[in-house]
Amino acid sequence: MQLNYRMRLPEAKKYVADKLHVSAFDLSDSTVMRNLREELDIGLIEAVPGMAKGLAAKARIADLLDIRIDAVEKLKAKLP
Amino acid sequence: MANEDFYTEAMAAIRACDREKATDVATRALAAGVAPDDMLKLGFIPGIAKMGDLFERGEVFLPELVLAADAMTGAADVCNAALPEGAGQKKATVVIGTVQGDVHDIGKTIVVAFLRANGYDVHDLGRDIAADKFISKAEEVGAEVIGMSALLTTTMREQIRVLEALNEAGLRDKYKVIVGGGASTQQWADKIGADAYAEDANDGVRKINQLTGN
Amino acid sequence: MSKIWTRMGDGQAVEMTSDELRKDMMEASEDAADKGKVPILEDNEIDKLMEIFSAPWRVIGVEPGHEVPLTKDETACTLVSSQLSSGAHLPISREAAVEVFERVFAFDTMELGWIDYSFKPAKPMVSLDQVSIERLLATTVIPILYGAMPNMGLYYTPDGPYTNPADLLGMMKVEEAREEEMKAAELCMEDMIFVCKRMDEIGADGIDFDTTASAGDADFLATLKTVEELKKTTNLGIEVGMSGEFILGMHGEVEYKGKRLAGMFPQDQLKVVEEAGADIFGPVVNTKTNKSAAWNVARAVTFVKEVCKQATIPIHANVGMGVGGTPMFETPPVDALSRASVAMVEIAKVDGL
Repeated sequence: MQLNYRMRLPEAKKYVADKLHVSAFDLSDSTVMRNLREELDIGLIEAVPGMAKGLAAKARIADLLDIRIDAVEKLKAKLP
Repeated sequence: MANEDFYTEAMAAIRACDREKATDVATRALAAGVAPDDMLKLGFIPGIAKMGDLFERGEVFLPELVLAADAMTGAADVCNAALPEGAGQKKATVVIGTVQGDVHDIGKTIVVAFLRANGYDVHDLGRDIAADKFISKAEEVGAEVIGMSALLTTTMREQIRVLEALNEAGLRDKYKVIVGGGASTQQWADKIGADAYAEDANDGVRKINQLTGN
Repeated sequence: MSKIWTRMGDGQAVEMTSDELRKDMMEASEDAADKGKVPILEDNEIDKLMEIFSAPWRVIGVEPGHEVPLTKDETACTLVSSQLSSGAHLPISREAAVEVFERVFAFDTMELGWIDYSFKPAKPMVSLDQVSIERLLATTVIPILYGAMPNMGLYYTPDGPYTNPADLLGMMKVEEAREEEMKAAELCMEDMIFVCKRMDEIGADGIDFDTTASAGDADFLATLKTVEELKKTTNLGIEVGMSGEFILGMHGEVEYKGKRLAGMFPQDQLKVVEEAGADIFGPVVNTKTNKSAAWNVARAVTFVKEVCKQATIPIHANVGMGVGGTPMFETPPVDALSRASVAMVEIAKVDGL
């Protein structure tokens, strides 16, 4: 949100928190976020079989946050 | 014209980075009976000190600093020539360079300008200078001080080589060695056995003044 | 009076009284205010700094909820390079190093760059770096930037085609020096645009222009003009990080949009970086090694606080070896580093580090 949308920190945290239906405070709570990331399937630190990884997770994040991620767009362009 | 007016004019000439004006005011002041050492101490030296301060504040820049140093040298030559033999303001001879393997020399260039402005006879070897070149030049010009710059954590170790080479040649005690550059610290200077560390250009002048008793 | 264990700017441990610490902080803030023409820290901010420096713990952290993201400059060099980049030279690929930063060190963004970390040597290697970035975009979740330094010095002798302005200045050839600087800036800009556009082609999330203005005001101009061009023609997010607290006037008269670049302190640098269109600004405040960590942190925070106040884009202050109040030591002591980081977040109100 900062790098591509120039949002200052409070605005960026609020945007992401609203989209994820959590509080901005929760974004730094590793317990909340670990569970949420698993539930939303948007990528985990640990290697869990079957869960979205890399670009797959990024595509899901782009949808969830309603943002454009160039690498995801490039992938879509490659698909038949 | 009062002495104070000459001092003010001297400061203005340095601030204007104008060698011609600086030598002209020095010549006129001496002809009017102003003591040459007063002209230096009360006119030109405060002028160059002010330039150093303005440089550190980002209000004058490197080209002006270099030209001001040149104006200072011109004025000092006029004043020193009028002093009795041996009473001149000429300070020690300094050999300076960026160590071998390192081509960063902006900081060193600033130090050279500050030293020249403060009356030192500086021999700038440039960048990427091998240990033996520091020593041969110092021997050739009869230097009292060797200054070494190194920006990088890797190249600062080359400063040790110069000290080792001085030791091997039996010349370590003949020279005062000062180190500086981005990653250097007093701790580093102490560790490698240098005589001084310079935090920045002003500090370099201050430390060399101390090392050479000026 | 009991003493507080702290550091000097070169990393050496030192004990100081509360009064000495406070005096150092006030003196440093006044120094920054005087040089940068910014307000001094307020009493409550000095009190907060005292709290940070008096904390009895080795490592401290921000208040819960105040966490900020990190952008990592100097690529994955910390793992794969040698002492050149304070690196550990692990026998792993750059790509593996980036993944370690993401999944083991929990970094929020990472960047990849050529091992020399300058645009000029990266140019002939760009296809290699393109596929490395492509691979990382497929395997990581965090934003992946391409990072490099403008390092305009590489365009001067002995490395490049133009006469070194430091040599010309030594011969009093000021105008010739300035001409060489402007020619070098043009070439540097061409190389940066070339490399960055290749990164845009393969979908990199952004570019980190690191250590900008290291060769002076013309170097900074080349960066600003490059950023302007990239924002017009690419989707790249752009971070501009500085090399020092004020723009060295090697040229002295270079202007960007009517503003002289030489002598700019962080809050003025911010304005031109914003005008060029960058998305994140990384201010630098240099550490004085002969002053205490408290002095250095107070000074850095005084500068950066004003930058954050005036900014319309996120501010990621540089905090690390020799910058941002951190000691100039290859492995900066974590006690000093964590205090500098906390001060940047809690007092300067940075958007990231």
